[in-house]
Amino acid sequence: MQLFHNLNIDFMGKRKFFYVLSASFFLLGLLNIVFRGLQFGIDFKGGTEIVVKFDEPIKIAQLRENLNATGLGEVEIKTFGDNTGALIRTELQELPANLFPKIRERIEHDINSSFPSVAGNFQSDKTTKSLTYTFSNSDTASAIAQKLFLDGFQSGKVTEEATNTQVVVQVGISDWIKESLKNKAQGNAFQIIREERVGPKVGNELKVDTIIAVVLSLIVILIYLAFRYKFIFALGAVLALFHDVLITLGLYAVLYNIIPGLNLEVSLTVVAAFLTLIGYSINDTVIVFDRVRETLKIHKTESLESLINLAINKTMSRTILTGGTTLLSIFILLILGGEVLRAFAFTMFFGIIIGTYSSVFIASAFVLDYAMKYHKKVEF
Amino acid sequence: MKALRFRFIIILAAIAISIYLLYPTIKDYQNTKHISEAVKTKRELVKKVNPAIAVDQLDKILQNTSDSIKAGDPSIRETRAKRIKLGLDLQGGMRVVLEVNTVKLLEKLANNPDDVFRGILAASGKEAALSDESVVDIVGANFQRKGIRLSRYFGTIRQDDAEILKDLKKQSEEAVTRAKEIIRNRVDQYGVAEPSIQLQGERRIIVELPGVAKEEEARQLLQGTALLEFKLLKEPEFTINIMEQVDKVLTGKSLVDTSSADTTKNVKKESKDSTLAKSDTSKNQKLSPEQFAKEHPFFSVALINPQSQSADAYVKSDQKEKLLRMLAKPEVQNLLNLNNAEFVLSAKPVTYQEGQGVFVLYLVNKTAELTGSVVTNASSNIDPSTSTPVVNMEMNSEGATEWARITGANINKRCAIVLDNVVYSAPVIRGKIPGGRSQIEGSTDLAEAKLLEIVLKAGALPAPVDIIEERTVGPSLGQDSISQGFNSALYGYILVGIFMIFYYRKAGTIAAIVLSLVILFILSVLAYFKATLTLPGIAGIVLTIGMAVDANVLIFERIREELATGKTMKASIDGGFSKALSAIVDSNITTFFTGVILYQFGTGPIQGFALTLMIGIGTSLFGALVVTRVLLDFLLNKGYKITLG
Repeated sequence: MQLFHNLNIDFMGKRKFFYVLSASFFLLGLLNIVFRGLQFGIDFKGGTEIVVKFDEPIKIAQLRENLNATGLGEVEIKTFGDNTGALIRTELQELPANLFPKIRERIEHDINSSFPSVAGNFQSDKTTKSLTYTFSNSDTASAIAQKLFLDGFQSGKVTEEATNTQVVVQVGISDWIKESLKNKAQGNAFQIIREERVGPKVGNELKVDTIIAVVLSLIVILIYLAFRYKFIFALGAVLALFHDVLITLGLYAVLYNIIPGLNLEVSLTVVAAFLTLIGYSINDTVIVFDRVRETLKIHKTESLESLINLAINKTMSRTILTGGTTLLSIFILLILGGEVLRAFAFTMFFGIIIGTYSSVFIASAFVLDYAMKYHKKVEF
Repeated sequence: MKALRFRFIIILAAIAISIYLLYPTIKDYQNTKHISEAVKTKRELVKKVNPAIAVDQLDKILQNTSDSIKAGDPSIRETRAKRIKLGLDLQGGMRVVLEVNTVKLLEKLANNPDDVFRGILAASGKEAALSDESVVDIVGANFQRKGIRLSRYFGTIRQDDAEILKDLKKQSEEAVTRAKEIIRNRVDQYGVAEPSIQLQGERRIIVELPGVAKEEEARQLLQGTALLEFKLLKEPEFTINIMEQVDKVLTGKSLVDTSSADTTKNVKKESKDSTLAKSDTSKNQKLSPEQFAKEHPFFSVALINPQSQSADAYVKSDQKEKLLRMLAKPEVQNLLNLNNAEFVLSAKPVTYQEGQGVFVLYLVNKTAELTGSVVTNASSNIDPSTSTPVVNMEMNSEGATEWARITGANINKRCAIVLDNVVYSAPVIRGKIPGGRSQIEGSTDLAEAKLLEIVLKAGALPAPVDIIEERTVGPSLGQDSISQGFNSALYGYILVGIFMIFYYRKAGTIAAIVLSLVILFILSVLAYFKATLTLPGIAGIVLTIGMAVDANVLIFERIREELATGKTMKASIDGGFSKALSAIVDSNITTFFTGVILYQFGTGPIQGFALTLMIGIGTSLFGALVVTRVLLDFLLNKGYKITLG
C-alpha cells in the first residue's frame, strides 16, 4: 500500500492562505488567553489539593455544601475519575487568620480538659503559621505536645532541650478539610488517595524555571540548526515552534471547562508535554528541511519555491505516517492513560497535529518569503 | 557476510544483556506476588482463629509473616535491589519538602529578644516566605533599615554586622545539615524501604518515603525534634531487682511494696533474692513455655543471661511490641518512675537468631546526665594502637565540667548514648574524663562507629522544620496508574505494530519486531541505570512507541523512492539507509536536546519522563539503523523476497 504516491501539490503557492489560517488561530488563542486567562494547576499557583475516594457515589453539590462550613472561602471541587472520587482544592496554603480563634479555642479546650492542672496557666503567641504556647515547665510541655498530636494537631516541642517549655501547633488546611469531611460524611467512608500541598515560593520558582526551560530549549535548537543548516532555516524552525506552543496554549484557554472530564490546567506534566511537543515538532521540521537541502544540492537551477514544494511533496508520506503512528499511541494514552495523564495526552495530541502542520506550512514558507524579500539565494 | 555475522552477534548480545538486566524485575514481581499470597492465607488463618483481632495487631502479625519470608531467602532482597524501581506516583508514598525554620532558629540564638526584635523577625519571616534570598540576609537588611545594630541581639558587642551575619549564616547552614542527618536516622529506624533524603538549595530537605501512607506518623517522624541524651545505666543488681518487680507486677500479684524508700532499704535482701530468682528462672525453664509465660510474663519476653556480669536483657524483634505494651502499663510506669528508672532498647539488633533480630534492653536513669547540646564535635576513625574503630567526642566547656564530674563519680559504670529513646551505645566509663574529650570504644566496625558519630553530632535539632510541599499518593491510585500505563503501552504497541505490518508488509513486520526489541532495550537501560519508572515515564515509553517507527518510516520511504528509479532491492536498501541517515540524526539530536533540558528542569516524575524519552531516542536509533538493517540484509542474503507494501 502506498499513500501520497507521486504527490504534486503547490503548497507554497497557497502559503498566504495558511498564514491567515495560523494568524486567526493564533489570535483566537491569544484573545482567550487574555480574556479568559490560563488556568494554572496547584504546581504553579500553590495551595492545597486533596483527592478523596468515597465508598459510595457522592454528589459534588452536597460535598460543596459540607465544605462551605469550614470557613475556607472559595473551595474548588471537581469529580476525579468516576463519581466516587472528588478533587478538592483551595488556593490557600495556610488557614486564614480569622479561623485561628476557632482552632485556638479547640486547642485550648483540649489542653484544659486533659490537663486541668495547667488550665489557664499558659501564654500563647500567634505568628502567621502556627500557635506557640509557653508552659510553666518542660514536662508539661512535652506531655501536652504529645497529647495534641494524638488529637490530630500537628504539634511539637520548639526544641528538644530539657529546658524547653514551648509547644508549637500547626494546623494545615488538609487536616481541617479532612476533619470537616469526617464529621459531615457519615455513613459514606472515604479515603484520601492523593494529597498535595505546594507553598507559594515553590510555585513562583517553578514559573521562572518553566520559562527558562522553554526559552533554553528554543535557543539550543536555534544554535544547533544554525550550525547544521543556514541560519534562516533555524530561525524559521524556531518561529514554527513558537507558533505551535502559542496555538496549543491558546487551545487551553479556549477549551478550558468546555469539555467535561478534561481538566485543562497548566501543571508540571503539561509543561513536560509542551517541551516534548517542541522536541517532536522540531523533529518534523528538520525532516522537511533536510529534504530541501538535498533537493537544493541536486537541482541547482530550479526556483526555491518549486524546490521546497518538491521536498514537501516527497516527505509528505513520511510526515503523515509518523504523525499518524505517534497520534495513534497518544490517542491510546488519552483514552487509557487515566486521569493523571489526560492533560498531558491532550496537549501532545493537538500539539502534534499543529506541529506537523507548522513544519510543512510555516517553517518552510518563512524561509521562502525571507529569501524572496531579500533576494537571497539560499544554498548549501 | 562476515560483517553481517558480527553485527548479528552484537544484536544477540544486546538482547541477552537486556534479558539479564530485566530478570531481577521479573523475579521480584513473582516474589512480591508469592509473599502477598502467603500474607493473604495467613490473614484468613488468623481471622478464623481469632475473629475479634484488632486491626493493628493483625497488621503486625502479617508484617512479621512477610518479614520472615523475606529474611529467609536472601535472594529476594538481592533481586529487589536490582529491579526497576517504581516512582512514588506508581507505588504510592509520600514526598515532602522540608524547610528549616531559620526565623525560629534566630529567635533562639538571640541574646535578649524584645518586642522590637520579634516584630522585625516576624516581618522578615513573611518576606522570606516569598523570596529566594536567605533569611539571615533579609533579617540583616531589616535591622539595618531600622538602624539597629545586630550586636544588640547577637554575638558580642565588639563584632560588626557583617561578622555576625557570617556567624548566623554558618549556624543556619549547620542546622540544615544536622536536620538532614537526624531525619535520615529516624527514617532508617522507622523502617521505610528505599527512602531518599536530599538537600535542595540552602535550607530545604526533600524526603521521599515510598509506600508510606500513614501521613501523621511520617509527619511526626520528620517534624519532631531529636533528643540526644547521656543516661547512666542502673547497677546490674538493681536492674535485676526492678525486673523481678516488673515481672511480679505484671502477673498481678504485686506483693512487694513499691515505695522508693522501701526499695532502697531492701536492696540487699532483694539482691539475694535476685540470685535466687535466677536459679528460680532456670528451674522455671523446665516448666512448659506457656506456663512460664504465664508466671513470668516479663522474663518470657526479655531473656537474661544468668552467666553474664551485666543485666542486659535480650528481646527478639517479634516480641518487641509485646514488651513495649507491658512496659507502658500504668502500674509498671509507676514502679519505674518511683525508682527514677526507664527501660530503653538498642537502636539496632545486636545479633540475629532464627532470622530474627535480637535487641538489648537496658535499664537507665530516667533523668539524663547531659543532653546532646553540649557535644561540639565527634569523629570516628581507627585507633592505630589497637586497630579497632573508635569515636572521639568533644564537648563545650560547660559540658566538659559536668562530664568530668559525672564520669569521676561513676567509674566502671556504664553510660548509654540515647537518641530519640533508643540506645546507640552503652560504653563503660573507664575513668574521669577532664577537658571534655572522650573516646568511645566497642564499635564492631567502622560503619557502626560512623553511625555513632552522626548520632553524637545530631544532638538536638536546632530549629523546627516546616513542611512546604507535600505530595501523597495512596497505593490504590498508584495501582490504577500502573495498570493504565501498562495497558496504554500494550495497546499502543499492538496498534502501531499492526499498522506497520499492514502498510509495509514484510518490511513492516521487521519494523514491528524491532519495535518490541526497542521497548525491551528501554526497560533494560532503565534497570541498568537503576532509574525510577514513573507514570510520565510510562507515557514517555508510549510516546516512544509512536515515534520510534519514524526512523523506519523514513528509511522505508527512501527505499521505495530508490526502487522507483529502477534499482535492485539491495542497492535500494543501501541507498535508502544512507540517504535517510542525516535527517534521522539531525531530527533525533534536537529532540534529545529538549529531553536533556527537561531532565534538568523537572523533578521526580518529570525527570522520569525525560529519561525514558532520551533512552527511547537512543534505543530506537539503534533499532532502526542497526537491527532493522541487519535483518533486512540477512533476509536478502538468504534469498527472501522483501516487500514494502
